[in-house]
Amino acid sequence: MELALQQALNGALLSVFYAVMAIGFTLIFGVMGIVNLAHGELYMVGAYVVWLTYAQGILPFPLAVLAGAGIVAGIGIGMERALFRPMRGNVLMGAILSVGMIFILQVFVATTWHVGLMKNIPPAIKGSVEMFGAIAPWQRLVVIPSAVALIGGLWWFLRRTKQGQALRAVAQDPEAATLQGISIDRVGIIAMAIAAALAGVAGGLMAPIMRVDPYMGHTALIMALMVTIVGGLGSIEGALVASFIYGFLVAFVTGYFPKEIASPATMAIIIGALLMFIMLAVRPRGILGRGT
Amino acid sequence: MVRKIKGGYLGLAVLFAMLAAMPFIIGEYRLTTVLMMMIWVIVVVSYRLLATTGEFSLGHVVVMGIGAYSSAIMSRNMGMSFWVTAPLGGLIAAGFAAATARPLFRMKGMYFLLGSFALGEAIRLCFRGFKEPFGGEGGFWYVPTPSIGSFIFSDTISYFYLVLGVTAACLFIMYRIDQSRIGKAMVAIHSQDSLCESLGINILGYKTLAYITASFFAGIAGALLGHYMTTVSPPQFAIGPMLLVLIWVVVGGTNTFWGPIAGVFTLYTIQETLRGVLVEWMPMFYGIILIAMVFALPGGLESLPARIAEWRKARREKLAGTGAG
Amino acid sequence: MKRKDLRKLIIVVSLVTALAVVVPLMSGCLGAPAAAPPEAPPEVAPPVEAPPEVAPPEAPPEAPKTITAKIGFLAPLTGPVAGWGLPGLYGDYIWVEHFNAEGGITLSDGTQVLAEMVPYDNEYITEKALTGAKKLVLEDEVVLVQMLGGATAAAAVPFMTDQMMISTTLLPSDLTPSTLYHLAPIEVCPFYNVTGVEWLALNKPELKTFAQVAQDDELGRPGMAAMNASAEAAGLEVVYWELFDPETTDFAPIVSKMIASGADILSWGISYPDYVNLLTFEAYNQGYEGQLHSCTLDFYDAVIEKTSVEFMEGFIWQFPDFDDPAMQEPLNPYRLIEPAVFWDDYQAAYPGTWSAVSWEYQAQLDEWMMAVKAADSIDPMKVFAAWKHPKENNIYHAFGEGTWWGKPFWGIDNAFMAPWPVVEMQNGKAVIVEFRDQLDWWERNKETMVQWNMDLGEMWWQRMGIDIESGIKMWGLEEEFGYLLEE
Repeated sequence: MELALQQALNGALLSVFYAVMAIGFTLIFGVMGIVNLAHGELYMVGAYVVWLTYAQGILPFPLAVLAGAGIVAGIGIGMERALFRPMRGNVLMGAILSVGMIFILQVFVATTWHVGLMKNIPPAIKGSVEMFGAIAPWQRLVVIPSAVALIGGLWWFLRRTKQGQALRAVAQDPEAATLQGISIDRVGIIAMAIAAALAGVAGGLMAPIMRVDPYMGHTALIMALMVTIVGGLGSIEGALVASFIYGFLVAFVTGYFPKEIASPATMAIIIGALLMFIMLAVRPRGILGRGT
Repeated sequence: MVRKIKGGYLGLAVLFAMLAAMPFIIGEYRLTTVLMMMIWVIVVVSYRLLATTGEFSLGHVVVMGIGAYSSAIMSRNMGMSFWVTAPLGGLIAAGFAAATARPLFRMKGMYFLLGSFALGEAIRLCFRGFKEPFGGEGGFWYVPTPSIGSFIFSDTISYFYLVLGVTAACLFIMYRIDQSRIGKAMVAIHSQDSLCESLGINILGYKTLAYITASFFAGIAGALLGHYMTTVSPPQFAIGPMLLVLIWVVVGGTNTFWGPIAGVFTLYTIQETLRGVLVEWMPMFYGIILIAMVFALPGGLESLPARIAEWRKARREKLAGTGAG
Repeated sequence: MKRKDLRKLIIVVSLVTALAVVVPLMSGCLGAPAAAPPEAPPEVAPPVEAPPEVAPPEAPPEAPKTITAKIGFLAPLTGPVAGWGLPGLYGDYIWVEHFNAEGGITLSDGTQVLAEMVPYDNEYITEKALTGAKKLVLEDEVVLVQMLGGATAAAAVPFMTDQMMISTTLLPSDLTPSTLYHLAPIEVCPFYNVTGVEWLALNKPELKTFAQVAQDDELGRPGMAAMNASAEAAGLEVVYWELFDPETTDFAPIVSKMIASGADILSWGISYPDYVNLLTFEAYNQGYEGQLHSCTLDFYDAVIEKTSVEFMEGFIWQFPDFDDPAMQEPLNPYRLIEPAVFWDDYQAAYPGTWSAVSWEYQAQLDEWMMAVKAADSIDPMKVFAAWKHPKENNIYHAFGEGTWWGKPFWGIDNAFMAPWPVVEMQNGKAVIVEFRDQLDWWERNKETMVQWNMDLGEMWWQRMGIDIESGIKMWGLEEEFGYLLEE
């Protein structure tokens, strides 16, 4: 097994995961100017729903993931109406309010289902397949077509449906969109539902591979932040590109950074954070973002 | 002469006089919580200094960590005295701020929030990732206790007075800044930056000054914390405590000097009092209070007296109206 | 700002400060509510209600009193490290139920001693650990403080030593010559991990190379040193080792590297229980077919479900199931609860939460109980003195006879060493294959052990930030450590 190929495969899988998280985050910012710092907790709830339904044998895995997406979308819509809509126009205040949600969701999950050992979720598909000399577990591979389907579906939605076009109109120019009769409130709900659902699906898909506990959203949020900033807040294409940059960055730094100097995984995130910082300082609109 | 003493300074003096009486009123455990609270008061008041210019940072607690680690490393590994390393810790934190101000202030508003977060995370991960010299995730242990001659500040009461003195000094200085022209300019920048620009006020200069000063005091607070705990470790400066600071500041309000202090006092007291009952629910409680505050009392706790006065005035008018009619 | 408003503000702040004084005082008078176990009550008979302590002045001197020994539990109950704390508290609750149900201990003057747990969640943060220690010792007046260990202990122990309070830990890496009353009575992590590695080398001689990973913290790092030292001492070649970030979420790259090193044995060291699960899963996913080793393997039914019985066959770790036949021997003839009974009670009351620490804290209480009997008092210093004489006072370790040791390694004899089980996975079940003697291993391999720990910065003087000469001089440890100066 060629180590480099194995790491490349790891990188590809990571990239796809980051993409699903980041696209939701960047979509809601681009359309509604919302920075939802509780995005990681939405991901966490998605994973918990899968644990509650699939791991307990109530639903098959695909349905469990969809159930997670649905519930999380509901929470997202609730947040949009209660927190973000009153603060529309004030991005900072909206973000600060979402901080409250972080704690609320974490504590709710922690006290209801208790902490201790992580929630164990058996893989939906066991076993691995060998490709190009590397070994890929089916559970990870499954994430790729799912993500591709999601992103493709989103692309189709945004380009080909009336609702999707309404979203894009609001993203470009909210005032002009209102003049055309588009209801910003409605667009807000739809955008938030999509963004939240994406996070929920990411959580559900990754649940069997990750450590499922109430605090798992923290690292997911950090990665989503880095990817969206570097890609450009508001740009889906940017998020896609940045996801791959970050996915491979993390996989290869973790794989090859000399451990005598510092822990490679820590180094990967330090580099990722510095990349984000530099991008913000030098070119705040990111790789593919539009100007403010 | 008496007229010249502003109400604010009087208030501070009253506050610290009451605090100085604490060791005679409450036991050691509660004294410890008041001691911690004072350290956090320095942090929130310094946070407000930057917030008045309109910039909310998510890296302030990490800056505290820079001060803590600097003072710890210099005092334990290099044998320097706390009285030198603590101010030096503040200066190093300020130096870090000076070095990073330029790139940071290219970011506006939301971007500043995220950029400060990214920078803070990078630094904190360095604390964790490098066992030399920071001690890694386990942290840096056996930080020496401050002493003067043969007197060691090892018991809670003496350290309490140490923290009391330092906090009083820090608050007096920051209040002075707040009341001065510099402080007023900082507020002006926040609310009317185009006007300021046309007047030739150096916005970037003032923001940088606020950031550096705030970081200095945060560094001092960090040193105080580190030498009391005798350990300095990365989890102390993670996003959790940072968000708490943010909540204290928002709940207290940033318009006046007293807002954040009221925020920290109220919430910290409630947190410690209800600890036995609420311990698992505490973060959720914080989240709910934050959201409730933003909607119900947007000005924060500091706006409470004004709101009550308004309400009473409105009531009086209503009664007068019905009386006359 | 107008003068009037300023005055109002001062009043508000003064009021708030007054509140800050009055409310805590009042709540202190009312007393904090006793913490109740969070799960459903176990099927054990409810404890005998302790009659309120009454000391009527005219009572005849022979009237028996009842006192409650409060036992502090200062560990993470929430947060990512809760798995090393909360299950231990659950085990303690079961112990206390049994203890009180059997009437506790009766001292020679007729006083009946019952027990009560007083937990404090320190979330593995030093700030909370110190305030927690102060509350437990000063306000709750506990007679013992159980801790997990690590940075939290480093912050809290100096205070407790000052207060002459006994504290216990699972991590003897806390121990330095200055931690006088800080004991490691059960778990001497990572020391006992040398046994598993050596057993592997002796019993599976076809395995020649060793690779280990663990998270970089006070659990993983000392374990890295100990297990690598044991591998080297046993003639294995350490071909790969890495300390990974404690917040790692994706273990694929790490496992890939380990497999690529070609090692015969992959070890997860002292990784968090969740990580052991995920690392094992990753190894399975990447088609690994060799020997696996770890310190813990909690909730292994779940791991088997994710992988397979065949894949897990032969896995070596150090924590037995309590219904293992070897555990039913009276290893500790004075233990309060039979292991199988404890296992059943625990599974009934707290299903799905059994971890390596579930039984360890309550096993400390077995020892404490015997020390109290011997000291005829719950006074911490008297109990401490009695505890340090296990042979005379029938104080046994959970795994048999123990010896207080530690000076040659940590500078203080505060670790209770006993033979430790090596556990192998046989057909989906944990089976104890041998109890091995840690001190015997030390006698044969001390140089390697000390060298590895020095290389990783884990020896006590390195933790204290002093050079070894000063340390030796300060505590008179020439005999134990003088040889290192000659190099």
